[in-house]
Amino acid sequence: MTTTTQQATQETVAASARNLTKTYGQGDAQVHALRGIDLDLPRGRFTAIMGPSGSGKSTLMHCLAGLDGPSDGTVTVAGTALGSLEDDALTIFRREHIGFVFQSFNLLPMLTAGENIVLPLELGGRRIDDAARERARMLADILGVADRLGHRPAELSGGQQQRVAIARALITEPDLLFADEPTGNLDSTTSAEVLDHLRRSARELGQTVVMVTHERDAAAYTDYVVTMQDGRIV
Amino acid sequence: MRTVFLASLRTHIRRYVAAAVAVAVAVAFVLVVGVLTSGAHSGLMDGLGAPYRNADHVVSAAGWPSSELDPKAAIAFTERHGENAAATGRATLPARANGRRISETTVGPIATSEEWRWQELSSGRFPARTGEAVVDVYFALAENFAVGDRVRIGEGAAARDVQVVGLVESPSPPAQASMYVTWPQLLQWRDHLHLNAVAVRGEVGQLPEGTKAQSPEGFAAERLTYVQNRVNTLSVMLLLFVGIALFVSVLVISNTFSILFAQRLRDFALLRCIGATRRQVVRSVRREAAVVGVLASLAGTLVGVGLGYGLIALIDALTPTALMGAAELPTLWLLGGFAVGLVVTMVASWLPTRRVVRVSPLAALRADAAVDVHTATGLVRPALAAILLVTGLALLGVAMVQDSTALMVAGGGSVFAGVLLFGPVLVPRLIGITGALLGPAGRLATKNAVRDPRRTATTTASLLVGVTLTTAVLTGMATWRSSLDEQIGRDHPIDVALTSPKEPVTTDLLNRVRHTPGVEQAIPVDGAVARVAGLDKPIPVVTAPAAAHVARDGGAFARVEPGKIRIDSEAFGKNLSLRPGDRVTVRVGDRRAQLQVAVGTGWGPAGVVAPETLATLTDAPEPHAIWIRASSGADPARLGSDLDELADPVGATIENGLRTWESLDQQLGIYTWSALGLLGIAVVIALIGIANTLGLSVLERVREHAMLRALGLTRRQLRRMLATEAVLLSLVATLLGTMIGVGFAWVGYETIVKQALSDATMHVPWLSLGVVVLIASLAGLLAAVLPARRAARVTPAAGLSLD
Repeated sequence: MTTTTQQATQETVAASARNLTKTYGQGDAQVHALRGIDLDLPRGRFTAIMGPSGSGKSTLMHCLAGLDGPSDGTVTVAGTALGSLEDDALTIFRREHIGFVFQSFNLLPMLTAGENIVLPLELGGRRIDDAARERARMLADILGVADRLGHRPAELSGGQQQRVAIARALITEPDLLFADEPTGNLDSTTSAEVLDHLRRSARELGQTVVMVTHERDAAAYTDYVVTMQDGRIV
Repeated sequence: MRTVFLASLRTHIRRYVAAAVAVAVAVAFVLVVGVLTSGAHSGLMDGLGAPYRNADHVVSAAGWPSSELDPKAAIAFTERHGENAAATGRATLPARANGRRISETTVGPIATSEEWRWQELSSGRFPARTGEAVVDVYFALAENFAVGDRVRIGEGAAARDVQVVGLVESPSPPAQASMYVTWPQLLQWRDHLHLNAVAVRGEVGQLPEGTKAQSPEGFAAERLTYVQNRVNTLSVMLLLFVGIALFVSVLVISNTFSILFAQRLRDFALLRCIGATRRQVVRSVRREAAVVGVLASLAGTLVGVGLGYGLIALIDALTPTALMGAAELPTLWLLGGFAVGLVVTMVASWLPTRRVVRVSPLAALRADAAVDVHTATGLVRPALAAILLVTGLALLGVAMVQDSTALMVAGGGSVFAGVLLFGPVLVPRLIGITGALLGPAGRLATKNAVRDPRRTATTTASLLVGVTLTTAVLTGMATWRSSLDEQIGRDHPIDVALTSPKEPVTTDLLNRVRHTPGVEQAIPVDGAVARVAGLDKPIPVVTAPAAAHVARDGGAFARVEPGKIRIDSEAFGKNLSLRPGDRVTVRVGDRRAQLQVAVGTGWGPAGVVAPETLATLTDAPEPHAIWIRASSGADPARLGSDLDELADPVGATIENGLRTWESLDQQLGIYTWSALGLLGIAVVIALIGIANTLGLSVLERVREHAMLRALGLTRRQLRRMLATEAVLLSLVATLLGTMIGVGFAWVGYETIVKQALSDATMHVPWLSLGVVVLIASLAGLLAAVLPARRAARVTPAAGLSLD
């Protein structure tokens, strides 16, 4: 690999993993969740990580997002090697560079939708100024939840909750947005809406989106599909 | 159902630990009181009978405790029986040793024959003849006595020198004294001697009038009942605090069960789904509570018994005069304590288990059922709370008007119950207000804290109880204290008064007094020696325009109208024949004046008159007294004896008012600290409760915390968030408790204190109350340590994949 291609790679790759390995337990009980993964995630695209349950796709996402440390190998996100970061530095890195949408338990039940959206800014100790509020409103507009900002999560439908979660993930303009089975709890119509929003985030806002899913239909919305089985990319 | 019961016990028993600790602490408290009470009883029994163990009869006053033995008759009676009788009693006499004056020495008899001797030698030997004495070890320790010291007992012609030949232990309250001398020696002070009983061997013969003869056992039993009543009163008081601790435990346990059952509601629903009846589910849950109750009560019983005996050993080691016997294991207390623990646990779990009954099987099938355990607050609660509040306030109002303690207690209880019931509405709002002051950083914590109003309210209620009572005690004591200060200021306006009835005091003496450590200010008081009709000795008649500089009452006692003379009614003993309003002739040399008598106390044997009056009696007043204001923190006994050293050689006497202050200080100090210490137990249980609620909430929120961590909340921020939540809970409970406590204290002041001390004023000890708030907040912080550490340990990935 020459220097130029490496530079070119860095420009187009949002995150990469090299020889990523994760094992749990010891001896007979040892489980190999990841067996040496090499992966580059292209910038500004919508990528799906697919595979049956137990294939290691969630573990891969956790390692790529810095939620869990790998047993071996390296992860680089936005030019930073995550393995070199202590827990606090890693947390702050996540706060600034990575956004998340989970399957469920996505929103804090005691905060309103609006408060949930600006939560990542608040965690970073930033003042919620007019610009931030404007951005939150814009995102809520795009995602169609602008009229629900004053409501608690319990008063929102599943699809609305997920769209609020996407707005929250986008508020920090992260380098990488991870979505873990975002449509797992939704009916097909709502699923389609949410997936459409994720695709538009990539197409229109240039957002890198990585989605973990086991649904073939969901993968159809993405630009790339990475399929996993038994801890390997197939 | 049995498998389910055992399995859920295995899974959940660790979550009951904090609740179990709360029960155990309360049960242990009961047992400690029990062991101490029975220890005190057996100690009293052992000590009390000791002087009379070899007697056939004990002669004492027939009408005791309202009448006492006539000393003369009792002495004659004892003398008549010779070797076959021994008296117990004591004489209170002044004493000097090692060049120091010892105030309030009690001297009792010690027999030379072994069969009558009940004191136990701890060093040296027993006195064999006149001129020898033994000293009680505890008194020796306090007054720094050693074997070989010489002590002068008595004053004037009755003064005798004795040598300390040994130290003894003398654990028998009716016969106890600080020093013991032989009977013949003791009779040298027969005028001062009070006897309480005479032990007789053989025939009693003719009894002196107004006395009765009893068997030694009968006598000991009679005295014991009297002292025991006091021990029992004390036990009842202690049990009151036990009751408070138990109440707080009920709140903590009930909250624990509520939270745990809420978390497991899905499990219960699932059980219902697969065919368990309501009764089966509830029975299984109640059995769990019973197991927790049994284990906790057992642990509490063991700890309490251990602590009780440990305390007895400690008390024995620290204070040799204390009467703590080896207590028998108090079976009744054991059973009682255990039963109380079990009952409390069962009662506290009753309401929460009822909620389990109501769960519908469908709840298991709903997706996110168990997450949001928000309980609604109905209308019944606030309505009942309002009724209780209004009734209580009305009762308190009436109590203040009618000075009725019973109404006050009823009203206070009603108001407090109202506040507790109102908690789910009130406390979250208060937390919201307090949290708003923290800014955005504390917002998550604030929202977390008020998530479930009922849980929040119960958690804070437990602390509220302790803090309210603590505040009421502190404020009540401070008010009482400041009122007493005023009164004592009037009764003892001068800390130490040095009065010279013959010669004027010299400038040299004044200077030496001023340089004595502990003297803040000393003023010379001018006057002249006068003969006052009705007093057998001449006294200085003085005037003190400068008294305000040293007097505690602002010098009011020394402002006497012309034509009057103010006499210290206590300085002349009981024989003072002058009464306020009497007209007496006062003579200085050949000048005389007719003066009207007024009285007061606290400045010694001198008459205070107006400057004009003194001018008519003498042209050349000379200082005849020095009035001293002690610096704060001066040791009264030491200052007294130091000044006495200066006064004695020039024939002056000392009036020490400071000692009264000291004993008052000590007494109030003991009351306040005991009450605080005992309430402390309830507060500790409450804090265990806060830690518990927080710990259980943390378990409930693992997913949420994992998500927050994923979103960028650092470990430190997470810990801080939980700490803030705990501090908010404890702070609000403390602030609310302080307000209610001060309110209660005010009512108490209006109802009780004002009645007892007419011109008392309310005094709120803001500093102490501030310290309470601070300590409670810090304790809240402490309560968050374990839950916060636990929460921060979970990695985001682990928390997210948890189901």
